[in-house]
Amino acid sequence: MAEPRITFTDVGKRYGKLWALRDLNVAFHPGEVVMVIGPNGSGKTTLIKCLLGLVRPTTGSITVNGEVIGTDPIYRKAIGYMPQISQFPAALTIGQLLDMMRDIRGLNEAVIDDRLITELGLDGQLDKRLSDLSGGTRQKVSAVLAFRSKPEILVMDEPTAGLDPVSASKVLGHAAEVRERGGTVLITSHLMEEVETLADRIAYLEDGQLRFILPMQEVLQSTGQQRLAKALPLLLERKVTTGMNA
Amino acid sequence: MLKVFKYTLIDLARNRFVLGYALLMLFVAEGLFFVEDDPTKALLSLVQVVMALVPLIALVFTIVYSYDSLEFTQLLAVQPIARRSILAGQLLALCTALLVAQGFGLGLPLIVHLPNMAALMLSLAGSGLVLVFTALGLLIALKQREKARGVGVGLTVWFLFVLVYDALLMALMFSFSDHPIEPYVVPLAALNPVDMGRILVMLQVDLAAMMGYSGAVYKHFFGSLGGIAVAAVVLLLWFVGPTLFSFRTFRRKDL
Repeated sequence: MAEPRITFTDVGKRYGKLWALRDLNVAFHPGEVVMVIGPNGSGKTTLIKCLLGLVRPTTGSITVNGEVIGTDPIYRKAIGYMPQISQFPAALTIGQLLDMMRDIRGLNEAVIDDRLITELGLDGQLDKRLSDLSGGTRQKVSAVLAFRSKPEILVMDEPTAGLDPVSASKVLGHAAEVRERGGTVLITSHLMEEVETLADRIAYLEDGQLRFILPMQEVLQSTGQQRLAKALPLLLERKVTTGMNA
Repeated sequence: MLKVFKYTLIDLARNRFVLGYALLMLFVAEGLFFVEDDPTKALLSLVQVVMALVPLIALVFTIVYSYDSLEFTQLLAVQPIARRSILAGQLLALCTALLVAQGFGLGLPLIVHLPNMAALMLSLAGSGLVLVFTALGLLIALKQREKARGVGVGLTVWFLFVLVYDALLMALMFSFSDHPIEPYVVPLAALNPVDMGRILVMLQVDLAAMMGYSGAVYKHFFGSLGGIAVAAVVLLLWFVGPTLFSFRTFRRKDL
């Protein structure tokens, strides 16, 4: 397998007395989609925020493309991010927001991928103010922003939440494209059935710790199930019984 | 930084609160000049309004805007841009928007009705207070996680600077009026940016009674030019101090 694109080494994050993430050791590779799942408060968002530089790990280090991430923001050029909640400056238009992000990322028109604007039906709405958009449309704008720079690393936090099924399918299709061209995709989602067809590996977090990270096929085969939603409880039960950890 | 500044300013230019602030100042200023026959008297009333209203508006607006922009600030913070550039752009845009609104609402009536040095000084002092309390508001928003608590701290800060501080200072001066305490009162008054703003204006108007006790002491010590210089430097420090703390806080803050 190729060198990892992202490596977490002994990463822990503490908020006050609570460890949101503990002793996380995991690597994510080029050309794979990893679905990060776990109950509420399991540390999924903290994992993502550590990678994005939104929070500083209390312990350990994170490497992206071989470089330990620190205060230099340049590594984030490789990352596209689609957050769960899309809030934008209310008085800007969609077009102005796209221009702003293009300017901030230093993108030139030649490398910009704007197909999603048309595919998600936003091309006729570029002059609309962001405050006038529905939650679903804001989520579409968020998707456009995430994919626009053709990122090597795509991070999606509950990407299908608020999207209609057709739009969700298109967004996930583009995520698959990122993988096809050698990108690394991390997705957190509670809607497993929407994302499971895309995932190559499943990482399960609980109480801030990685319980396991396994290939999707192995999860299904080892439990004899066709769907992740049914396989997961069986697998967790088995792992609790045998005392196995990641 | 300039990119964040540019688009934040575009957003703020259409913000109803900013437009409302401009209109409120215009309404108050025009109203005072309308009801007072003597423009200087109107100016003196306007000083009291500006010294109370400007800190309040700048504090509350900055705090509320900062909390409402949190998710977008997070989105900016995951772009390949330094956090200091994000904060600098946002602070600059907030200051610019409020200064332009104030220039329209306060500056225009002053130019029309009373184009003299005192009016200019009121404009400058008001601008200084916008900068100081915008910087303080940003610091409060960064330090407090919850919006309601942030607004509460902001209102407390406003109350302390605008009402409590001068009352305490006057009580202190009356209590020790038999002692030569002026050398101590000067630095004590300098701790309050609102007093500083008032001093900047009142040194241009020969009405010591309106200056408050601390302002009178300033006039006695420094005369016009010295007082203006010291007050201006103190206001600058009040802007720079919270701004530096904000940058330090934002650099380390978990978003």
